[in-house]
Amino acid sequence: MGQVINMRQMEQKLQRADRKQSRLYLFCNFMALMIISAYSALMLSPTVQKVFPEGGDSRKQMYMIFVMTLLGCVVFTIYALGLFFRHKSRQLGVLMALGASRKRLAPGLYREVILLSGVSAILGTAAGFPFVWGIWHAFRLFLVDSSDMVLTFDFRCLFISLLFLLLVVGFAGLTAWRYLKKTNIMEVIREEHINEPVKELGRWCGPVGFLVLLTGAVLGYGAPLACDKWFSMFPPVWVSVFYAPVFVGLYMIMLHTVVHGWKSHRKNPYKNIISRSMMKFQGKQTVNNLLVVTLLIAGGCFAVFYLPTNGISAVLRYASLPYDYFYKYQADQDMPDRTEIEALGREYDLSLKDWNECDYVTVGMGGMAKIYEEDGLRYHIEYVPMQQEAMVLSEDAYQMITGQEVDVEPGTYWCLNDKAETSLYVNDSAKEITNMTTRKVLATEFAGFLHYDHLAETIPCCVLDNADYALISEGLTDDWRGRFVAFNVDGKDSYPFANAFFRLFVSSFDESCERPSYYDRVQKIRENEEGKEYWGDTDDMTTIRYEMADSFMFRNFWVYMPSFRILSQNDYLRNMAVMFMMFLFIFIVCMITALVVCYTRCQSIALNNRYIFDDLKKLGASPVFLDREVHSQCGNVFKVPSMVGTTAMFLLFSMILYANDGRMLKTEWMAMGVCLCIIAAIGGVIYAVYRSSVRAIKAQLQI
Amino acid sequence: MLYVKELYKSYEAGKNKYEVLKGIGFHVAQGEFVAVMGPSGSGKTTLLNCISCYIPFDKGNIKLGGVELAGMDEEELARVRNTKIGFVFQDFMLLDGLTIRENILVPRIVQGEVPGEAEKLADQLAAMFGIGHILNKYPAEISGGEKQRAAVARSLINNPLIILADEPTGNLDSKSSRAVIETFIHAKQKVNATIFMVTHDSFAASFCDRVILLKDGTIYRQLEKWEDRSVFQDQLLDAIKEMSET
Repeated sequence: MGQVINMRQMEQKLQRADRKQSRLYLFCNFMALMIISAYSALMLSPTVQKVFPEGGDSRKQMYMIFVMTLLGCVVFTIYALGLFFRHKSRQLGVLMALGASRKRLAPGLYREVILLSGVSAILGTAAGFPFVWGIWHAFRLFLVDSSDMVLTFDFRCLFISLLFLLLVVGFAGLTAWRYLKKTNIMEVIREEHINEPVKELGRWCGPVGFLVLLTGAVLGYGAPLACDKWFSMFPPVWVSVFYAPVFVGLYMIMLHTVVHGWKSHRKNPYKNIISRSMMKFQGKQTVNNLLVVTLLIAGGCFAVFYLPTNGISAVLRYASLPYDYFYKYQADQDMPDRTEIEALGREYDLSLKDWNECDYVTVGMGGMAKIYEEDGLRYHIEYVPMQQEAMVLSEDAYQMITGQEVDVEPGTYWCLNDKAETSLYVNDSAKEITNMTTRKVLATEFAGFLHYDHLAETIPCCVLDNADYALISEGLTDDWRGRFVAFNVDGKDSYPFANAFFRLFVSSFDESCERPSYYDRVQKIRENEEGKEYWGDTDDMTTIRYEMADSFMFRNFWVYMPSFRILSQNDYLRNMAVMFMMFLFIFIVCMITALVVCYTRCQSIALNNRYIFDDLKKLGASPVFLDREVHSQCGNVFKVPSMVGTTAMFLLFSMILYANDGRMLKTEWMAMGVCLCIIAAIGGVIYAVYRSSVRAIKAQLQI
Repeated sequence: MLYVKELYKSYEAGKNKYEVLKGIGFHVAQGEFVAVMGPSGSGKTTLLNCISCYIPFDKGNIKLGGVELAGMDEEELARVRNTKIGFVFQDFMLLDGLTIRENILVPRIVQGEVPGEAEKLADQLAAMFGIGHILNKYPAEISGGEKQRAAVARSLINNPLIILADEPTGNLDSKSSRAVIETFIHAKQKVNATIFMVTHDSFAASFCDRVILLKDGTIYRQLEKWEDRSVFQDQLLDAIKEMSET
């Protein structure tokens, strides 16, 4: 290496010597930008946007976790930058002490930090796309593939990365300016040794933190319900503020972890005293770090728990359905008859049995409805005649298709619900039903619930007394009439048959049936008659197309979507693929971010406390003792956020499942069991990264 | 050469304010080798840091080579640090990524290009202090005593008006300490260097022409060396004992 003869050469040589420090900063910055770029690319991609309903909970959750991930990335980028400058400050201080003016140092320092930040940020942003493409295609290759999963990007997502890139470069420049502006040179030189002790609270803060956290969870979850129940109000966005105690509680728990630890030291007050005091004296950073990691792990768990809680109930539900094949169609459609279907079955060596079919009619059903005030938030409940579209069966038809005997009193109706009584499509408040062709009205009254899963799937379904049914269906045109068909397969079912039948079934409908289940024909007529435009006829309505018969929207929301057990079971993952894969991706991103934060924190422990470990060595500390201190220090960084994050999310999910209907179903218990297994797997991954961090630190500290 | 008059400096920690220097005043002549001694917290290092313009002071005057330091802007102070002052730190503060020759030349490098004569001077200083054989090595490859001698050579590269040394023997064994003190004496004799050194070590201080004893931010006493070094060291030890008892 040549002799240094000017400032530029000296700076370049020093930068080369500081490669290790720069590498950590480059790595963190690169990771942050890659994660943000990948997340925003996927989140805003048309592939995901068309599957996640606009304004829906899943989309809000996706955005919420993105904000959390963004926060995590900001934190570890700032820490990495802080570490870089902590090391750099000694060099800067020495040069200042030897007479280098701010003006002289500024160009080199700005050039270095802006170059490091800019290059790593640009590379990270660019790497985000292959990263998301790689993961997505790995999902498609190894897990599930569907027509929905063709990944397309909306490159406007780059604005988010660009903003973060500017933030990173700007912050790096600002930090450099802050260092150059310091007038106390000794402070710059000794920066590495400056501690940031945290304000201590008593030993009560941990247990109280748990109480506050729990209170926040209950308040946050309960506030929207209270809005609805007590104030007849759609919960506004600010209601989320009730979750604030969760963060306060988490902070208190982390503070307790850093200041007091969770083990009693009464018997041996000197055990791990070094690691405890190290944590305490860098308390501000440590507490913030633990808090962010906890939130990220919780966010990751939130995303990944979505899969079993939704998947298991669906899979078990399909298995318990009474018929292998159950479908309905409008009476004016030219559908394949029994002979044709049996012929199709024979092509697949299948014979059909338990064939059943019956008529039904579609009517206008009155009911209690939420009528929103002008502010769009508050509402009152009032009875609305012809409030919604509903299917009606006679007693005989019901008995024929379900095998269940029922005796309906004239002037009453029984409403269909699923076995678990969780169906969203029930109407127990109707006082009359209306024939939509003749407008003849039949007074009625809710008599109770019947349970049959196939009939509680799309829109409300009721059973009337035979005479009442005859009365209300008289004069109805075929577009308000329909037919239920059900059968089983004799022996083992065949997916190719189900698939072929599904294609034949869809192709038999004309365009009048090309609508989603939430398009309410009765509501449309009512609103049109009131001179209003029905929202289903506006651009807000998500359309359903026959040519998209394999898409998430079609399979989940087509009004005549048949229930073919083997098709549903085999295609479930495919139908939900985009949603599931997005949540899986969120989980991966959250976990990577959390682990990078933990790893960076452990590295900062090694760097910031190098002199303490050196002093301990000089005082005769054995490698075993030093090893224990490193383990204890890193253990706290990894252990507490992992335990709190996973446990909190497990409890929150349990609470949500319980609070949905005031009980835990068998499927929900099973889902929570799977969640526990996932937690164990997460624990394993975290433990592996913890071990690797400890190894890296020990190498740095030469223990 | 160096005039310090009514110098005050305080630190704030939370709501508390600690006065560290309480109106200190003294003078160091050209070519003089002066030590400052005193118990921990007496203000020795703070005094040195104020003179070297590393930290701002509250009140008072510091004149170096006839130039008043108070009121100078950052750019002027940097020039003073670079050309008028040579500083020797307790923990050497060599830059790990540069060779010993480059470290010695850093004060010249920050001025701009390094002329050939500066390189020659670096080699001469290194030879003078017995570190000529390690000029191409890196700090991590040499001993503490060699590092400190390199730091002394660095402090002299710009031919400063004064060398300020903060516990230069604090991290060294007795043999290396002696070698470092000898480099100071050598610098004083060969280039008429003025040296102002903070130390805890009465042995190191006994080589000085004068010792200023500080206590609680004020000058307790000044002792001048008129006789033999070992006698002066005894006088110093007596004065320190007396100071600790009052």
